[in-house]
Amino acid sequence: MASAYHSNFIETSINAAVSFLKESVFSDEYASKKGFLQSIDPRMKLATSAIFLLVVLFSGSITVIIYFYAVSLALAYLSKINLGFFLKRTWIFMPLFSIFIAIPALFSIFTPGETLTSFEVMGLHLIITRQGFFAASLFVMRVITSVSFVILLSITTRHFELLKVLRIFGVPQMFVMVLGMCYRYIYLFAQVIENTFVAIKSRAGTDLRYKSGRHVVAWNIASLWYRSYRLNEEVYNAMLSRGYDGESVIFNDLRMRLADWLWGLAVAVMCAVPIILKCKY
Amino acid sequence: MANVIFELKDVHFSYMGKYPALSGIDMTIDKGEKRAIIGANGSGKSTLLHLLDGLLFPGRGTITAFGKDVNERAFSDQAFSRDFRRRIGFLFQNPDVQLFCPSVKEEILFGPLALGEDKVETRRRFEQLIDTLGIEELLDRSPHQLSIGEKRKVAIASTLIIDPEVLLLDEPTAGLDPLTARHIIDLLVRENASGKTIITSTHDLHIVEEIADTVSVFSRDKKLVKSGPSLEILKDIELLQTHNLVHIHAHRHDGRSHVHSHEHPNHEHTH
Repeated sequence: MASAYHSNFIETSINAAVSFLKESVFSDEYASKKGFLQSIDPRMKLATSAIFLLVVLFSGSITVIIYFYAVSLALAYLSKINLGFFLKRTWIFMPLFSIFIAIPALFSIFTPGETLTSFEVMGLHLIITRQGFFAASLFVMRVITSVSFVILLSITTRHFELLKVLRIFGVPQMFVMVLGMCYRYIYLFAQVIENTFVAIKSRAGTDLRYKSGRHVVAWNIASLWYRSYRLNEEVYNAMLSRGYDGESVIFNDLRMRLADWLWGLAVAVMCAVPIILKCKY
Repeated sequence: MANVIFELKDVHFSYMGKYPALSGIDMTIDKGEKRAIIGANGSGKSTLLHLLDGLLFPGRGTITAFGKDVNERAFSDQAFSRDFRRRIGFLFQNPDVQLFCPSVKEEILFGPLALGEDKVETRRRFEQLIDTLGIEELLDRSPHQLSIGEKRKVAIASTLIIDPEVLLLDEPTAGLDPLTARHIIDLLVRENASGKTIITSTHDLHIVEEIADTVSVFSRDKKLVKSGPSLEILKDIELLQTHNLVHIHAHRHDGRSHVHSHEHPNHEHTH
């Protein structure tokens, strides 16, 4: 029974990893919807996202950051993104940051100040300070708002448009090209892994023992490495065959419209609102 | 001589210096010719196409293309390299290898952009090709989202967009449904009629008569055993049987069992 559980664990992990990759990384589901952010030129979208990020990064006011978080949620709604999906995608990063940074910052050991509350854990007297609570809240809100804007940008823009914009903004072509190819071929390998495990299942059935399961996984990692090495050579040949000589030229068919400039102006106004309302930035 | 596109003299090639892939190949291919390279799996057909495209170089022997030697030194000259790539287009056997750009549109335009082709002419050919191949709705999609037939069409478009004089085709109809295969064969025949030289590697004898005037047969010991008019080669059942291109096949027909030689690489046929 235990071995059956373990082999299922391997299979479930692989299937889950492949399906996560396909759904979250390769799905153009939201990018192809006719929503607000999807209608904005990718260059303007990237520039305005960068402005939002900078403002959130340099703001020391939790009120201002909450205001920008509300802006990100409104943009998600206007871009026809399921809010449940959006919140899950953004808050998934929080435990990592909160465990290592935000939670320790709550306590007087790291942030001395006025006592908010105190309690004992295994004989240890712990004090949460007002300053610590404020610093941790500010940190969590800053991370969540920044992540929200990045996710908004990535899920409302087709990946090839994002790569194109990176090139237009002067990111080295080799970097963008490698990024694009990784995206393209990780998908191919995800399919290879999926097909390989279906093939194994069709021959070995589901009763794959833990030890042989490990052996199969190890063998497949080796085989995948070899395939990727071969593919690398073949793709390079295909590039050479079509005239690649180390420098690829970008194809730019993006056109900025009045609506895009208006969106740029609107972002500038949104960033100025806290100043107009005399909030401390 | 001015009519000769490729000339191969005693060409030998082996992978990593120890696994022979081609042995003593002598061959001449003329301008405007339709040539099929046939042979069983592992007979060196794909390797030959890679050599003709200057992606591999012979260990021994010489290859000339358009009257110039094709070797590693020649490709260090950028002018030669660009001219060669502009004149020869290669359709790879595996479209996943050939489609490496993030979107179909960028994929098709990769070659002309890399070769610095004229933008107006590129735009004209682009419009014409997407219309001919019926791939307009695929332009903003990623190649990984396409079916095998769609990938093959995009790969063909990305090869034809530079309007090459020579088309090297490695199993162009492998894995395709009959209708898509038909469209691709018709397109290739049209391209040949417009003056392009077409060299196709295949073991699908069904398409050979249409896509080739001349057929070269390769053996499993990596040698060119015979070249000749396609009808003559296709009638030589003994030659085809010797080189695993047809086999004796027994099956039932209308309640009767009978035996005949058979060519069906994909093991699918209708009676």
